[in-house]
Amino acid sequence: MQTETEKHPRPTLPLLALLALASALGVAVAIALAGVAMLLAAPAYASQSETKEGMLYLRARGADPVAAPLLGTEVLFRVSGPVARARVVQTFRNPHDVWYEGLYVFPLPESGAVDALRLVVGSRIVEGEIRERNVAKQAYAQARGAGQRAALLDQERPNIFTTSVANIGPGETVVVELEYQQVVRYDSGRFSLRFPMVVGPRYIPAAPLQVADAIRITPPVMRPGTEGERTNPVAIQVMLDAGVPLAAVESLHHRIEVKAPSESRREIVLAGGSTPANRDFELAWSPRAAALPQAAWFTEEKDGKHYGLLMLLPPAAPRTARLPREVIFVLDTSGSMGGASIRQAKEALELALARLQPQDRFNVIEFNSFAHALFDAARPADPDNLRAATRWVRALDARGGTEMASALHLALDGADDPEHVRQVIFLTDGAVGNEEHLFGLIRARLGGSRLFTIGIGSAPNSHFMTKAAQLGRGTFTYIGRVDEVRSRMGELFAKLETPVLKAVQVHWPAGGAVEAWPTRLPDLYAGEPVVLVARLDRLEGEVRLEGERNGTAWEARMPLAHNANAEGLGAVWAREKVGALIDSLREGAPEAEVRARVIALAEAHRLVTKYTSFVAIDKTPARAPEEALKLAEVPTLLPEGWDYAKVYGELPRGATDSRLALLLGTLAILLGLVAMRRFT
Amino acid sequence: MKAIAVVLLVIGTWQFGRGAWIQAKAWAAQGLIAHAWSRTLQGAADVKPWGWADTWPVARLSVPRLGVERYVLAGADGASMAFGPGHVRGTSIPGGPGNSVIGGHRDTHLAFMRKLQVGDTLTVERADGARVSYRVAAADVLDRREVWVAKQEGPARLTLVTCYPFDALSADGPLRYVVVALAE
Repeated sequence: MQTETEKHPRPTLPLLALLALASALGVAVAIALAGVAMLLAAPAYASQSETKEGMLYLRARGADPVAAPLLGTEVLFRVSGPVARARVVQTFRNPHDVWYEGLYVFPLPESGAVDALRLVVGSRIVEGEIRERNVAKQAYAQARGAGQRAALLDQERPNIFTTSVANIGPGETVVVELEYQQVVRYDSGRFSLRFPMVVGPRYIPAAPLQVADAIRITPPVMRPGTEGERTNPVAIQVMLDAGVPLAAVESLHHRIEVKAPSESRREIVLAGGSTPANRDFELAWSPRAAALPQAAWFTEEKDGKHYGLLMLLPPAAPRTARLPREVIFVLDTSGSMGGASIRQAKEALELALARLQPQDRFNVIEFNSFAHALFDAARPADPDNLRAATRWVRALDARGGTEMASALHLALDGADDPEHVRQVIFLTDGAVGNEEHLFGLIRARLGGSRLFTIGIGSAPNSHFMTKAAQLGRGTFTYIGRVDEVRSRMGELFAKLETPVLKAVQVHWPAGGAVEAWPTRLPDLYAGEPVVLVARLDRLEGEVRLEGERNGTAWEARMPLAHNANAEGLGAVWAREKVGALIDSLREGAPEAEVRARVIALAEAHRLVTKYTSFVAIDKTPARAPEEALKLAEVPTLLPEGWDYAKVYGELPRGATDSRLALLLGTLAILLGLVAMRRFT
Repeated sequence: MKAIAVVLLVIGTWQFGRGAWIQAKAWAAQGLIAHAWSRTLQGAADVKPWGWADTWPVARLSVPRLGVERYVLAGADGASMAFGPGHVRGTSIPGGPGNSVIGGHRDTHLAFMRKLQVGDTLTVERADGARVSYRVAAADVLDRREVWVAKQEGPARLTLVTCYPFDALSADGPLRYVVVALAE
């Protein structure tokens, strides 16, 4: 170029001038436009104050994030061997000068047995009582009307609860304490404890599959950027006694501080004290390899009965020649998956695609408001098809509704093909409100397929994940961050590719009265233990388990004599039984009968269930009848990593660029005319 | 030199024409829609104002004090809002119970919104010919993500949504001007 311009110096000058002129013109136009835009925009922004009157009205329509009691939560876990007991303290503070009734929708682990509630007002402590749900509701409403402080705890889903607190006076603080019991998860050599903190916004499909209680599971959500001090801070403390020497303790999503008073004990608190309630807390610990428990039997004596918990890990199966598989991947691309979740899901899916062997067949289904399959039918996992699938998956974006039923219809056909192991791998956050309808669908159409759920994101619906996997005779996996994808998927691949332990039967000693749950044990995948809770009248003899894996018989025995103590097994057993009774509804058991049995069990063990609630009433009247009471729902945070606009959509865009076009056009024509005059 | 002038003139004419075209079709369409609406009132359902239209009038909205009359079209997407204010699908139909949300452009059909005052009367003529009156109760500037204004619970009302600020040149602002009018 350099040499050319030297050869022809003459044309260079006008060319440069032309360029300079053009850029000068461009700058001038830009400045003029910016000036005009600013002139026009400034008074318009200032006029916002003119609309103050309306602002009051609009904000009062249930959307004012400020006019509600403030909430803080403290959680204390005591983990003893396989059992965890949690105390959750919810502090409602009313900084306003009106009386409030606060309503807070929050999640708890789906397997938790909630067996205590206390209302604390100043120095007074009122113990809650278990009542039938509508009886509790009436007692609460009566106390509310009489100006008494009262608390009500209802179960909306096995993992969604609502606390109602009546008559929180101006400037007052009212505390609600609840406790629950659960068995910690043991899988692939790792124990884990999950504490959910926020109910992610749920998709409620339109009629005819109405979700009758939609309003009770969809709390108001604070728009990111408007939270202010309202982050619903949660402080967590865990007193961990593993019972065996520990190799590692880790918190998957929060920074923690750990003290180690002994080899088997740890004391854990959140670094910085508390965290906004916007994602699940997950703590995982692994015993040293030598101390890895193969079998354990814990017992508790309560009211003349023995309660026992059996955890037994079958020996690892040797890897054998695998049967060809047909793998159907189902990817949730609804609005709630927008942001971090869809990236995690796509990465997990690409890893799984890369893992397929040439003799396998596969297909990919994505769904939001509609479901689409990549291929008409499953195709061989040859390089061409895999390349096409990878390209297709990469291009997917998350938006729209969560019509999961149509995806399940596509993925499950009820067929049973003896030539192939058919595995459906379902990647979703489970942000739906019609769980029961979907469970019915899985039950009806499963056939010979196996359903594996992968819970994606910061606040997956764990009730959906576990129950769908149970009904689908598969397993569930959680992926909360992109950097967990590889290790969690690795564990899942081991489960998918090694033979399962099937037809597991339990034989209790003859002569004793034993009631154990679950009655039908699931198929066990690599790394999964047998977990049983039983009520026994005496601790004698031994329990024998048998099963079959890859045509080979398996047997294990465990003496029932008292060995290690674990507190709260009675509540765990009752919770398991309630779960089994509710499951029987899905198999057609009459609701009236199930309801009566659940209520009897819940009253005996003081449990919150679908049919029973806790109510606590402080008899001292607080609010005078002439003072008004305002109902306010405590707003919740959007789960971390979610994209607000993708979940809720936006208001219609109400402008064209016609004015910009007219202005630009006018300016350009004027400049053009000026240029014409000057240069001709 | 001439080249620049010519380029500027061509660009200018094109831009000016584009702006004028948006305005022209916005207002011309309302005439065609008026005809479709009169057929709707005579009992035809979902009458498309022209053969290839993918929308149809669902109500006639008027503001007597301002002498404004607009035909509301089905759907609040770009395609229908080019020709009239659009009714947001999934919200209640104008003149019905619940919350009927109507979106429109601040520089064409809903430019009158800046002149609305609390207490103004709005009238909706429904497809069955019935008329329902509304009174403006509130107006507010909101973020485009505040979709709670489209909630269905609560009294029968109209919620009008347009872009804000009214005089901005660009069409991509994050703010919306929202007016709520309660049924009388």
